[in-house]
Amino acid sequence: MTAGADGAPILEVSGLTKRFGGVTAVNRCSLALAPGRIYGLIGPNGSGKTTLFNCITGLSARDAGTVRFRGRRIDGLPSHRIARLGIGRTFQVIRVFPELTALENLLVVSRGEREAAIMRARELLGFVRLDGLASEFAGNLSYGQQKLLEFIRVLMLDPALILLDEPAAGVNRTLLNELLTAIRGLRDEGRTVLIVEHDMKVVMGLCERVFVLDYGEKIAEGPPEAIQADERVIEAYFGR
Amino acid sequence: MRRALLLAAAVGLLLLGLYPRVASGYGIRFMLQLFMWVALAQSWNLISGLTGYVSFGHVAFFGTGAYATAILVTTHGWPWPAAAVGGGVAAALLALLIGYPCLRLKGPYFAISMLGLNEVMRVLVSYFEGLTGGGLGLSLPTLYASVAIYYAMGLAALAATGAAHLIITSRFGLRLMTIREDEVAAEAMGIDTARYKLYAFLLSAFVPGVVGGLFARDLGYIEPVAVFPLAFTITMIVMALFGGKGTVWGPVLGAAALFVFQELVWARFLYLHQILFGAIIILVVLFVPRGILGVLQQRYRLPRYV
Repeated sequence: MTAGADGAPILEVSGLTKRFGGVTAVNRCSLALAPGRIYGLIGPNGSGKTTLFNCITGLSARDAGTVRFRGRRIDGLPSHRIARLGIGRTFQVIRVFPELTALENLLVVSRGEREAAIMRARELLGFVRLDGLASEFAGNLSYGQQKLLEFIRVLMLDPALILLDEPAAGVNRTLLNELLTAIRGLRDEGRTVLIVEHDMKVVMGLCERVFVLDYGEKIAEGPPEAIQADERVIEAYFGR
Repeated sequence: MRRALLLAAAVGLLLLGLYPRVASGYGIRFMLQLFMWVALAQSWNLISGLTGYVSFGHVAFFGTGAYATAILVTTHGWPWPAAAVGGGVAAALLALLIGYPCLRLKGPYFAISMLGLNEVMRVLVSYFEGLTGGGLGLSLPTLYASVAIYYAMGLAALAATGAAHLIITSRFGLRLMTIREDEVAAEAMGIDTARYKLYAFLLSAFVPGVVGGLFARDLGYIEPVAVFPLAFTITMIVMALFGGKGTVWGPVLGAAALFVFQELVWARFLYLHQILFGAIIILVVLFVPRGILGVLQQRYRLPRYV
């Protein structure tokens, strides 16, 4: 396994396969993530990145293969259980709860004492400077604000592993820089991050290791510089 | 605002508590039915207003409660208040039985399955004549208890509204709303949507079960068509929609407004009343789909306890 030097992988996917009718969206895909690092997952449109996310988080049932989180098998568990174990995710298309306020969007995720949850939620809102909009319906927030809200909502799970599906899409420069700083901050807290991203600059600047999918298969894996030079990757993106 | 609301509620309760001392027989019957509609609209709101799973057969629980109560009273000799609670339990058991498969269905499929449930229940009670009297119906022993049933019905409305308040102002209620907002995202955020839906469904079935029982006791005679009318389901939906689904006081407001309206028109123009009711449904859906409180909620950011 390519877990890196620091011991057991936090997430270990092996031989994962997912078919939709005759289409094999993810084909015998294996990858291992070491804790406390930022990983990238790239590939052309339709290469199976989001499907892989869905299989890891239990939103799609896999056809074959296993997923282990902290050594424990999680494939087959319902989505909410996987989330509670410590895997948080965001979506490619924003999925905040529009008719709940920004604060309520965070509160629903929390467990335990209500007052403590409210404190934590306000802290996170302040972190992305949405504290002034705490009691605004999420649906009334701007695109960027919703994106930030979805990002901090994941943090309410206190996840050890965070899967971000195109966090930079449609986000302006200033906001993007804040987001990138925040993601590095999560890594520094010891969390592991796996990012699907199309913006190569973001991937190369942020990720320590990159996986490349093409037609559902992992065709390359390595540090960003090596990936950029990889023949098969270039071929997958630009054709032969 | 909260204090003013509490004060108003307390005064209202006091007045309603004293009302039977001064009211005519008609007045008591009028209020009794109003309470019934408040409780029914409120119960529909718990499942459909919060989780967005629109139940088109909620009267199935009402009818089930009515029959369970009538049977407990006639063949087992239970006192009617206990029998009505038994009616609620019977309805909740039915919800438990069908909730597991039906709550997996989404959108219109769930609505249709609930509609089907109501038809099935009506046919079932017609079929098992030995227990239910079939098409001939069941007669309960004669009893003059309008005032007692007035209080019981009032208590049901109060309990349903109190439950709505507790739920909607809690994280439990907010989580139910996440199912309405985006069920997939709710799952991904660690919310056990299947279990939450079932809890809401059980609660929302219990209330009409009790109310159906009280209705049966009040009427003294029930038969399949009278306690499983589709029109009841539609009425409770329209009331909840009109007042504002997903809010605490919307169903109360909607039930009061539409029931009073119905009584006024009904008394004067027997046929026109149905046409007008239909027109109201169309107008609400077209122009105020959120209902009165829903609109105010969106515009003035009312707290959840309103």
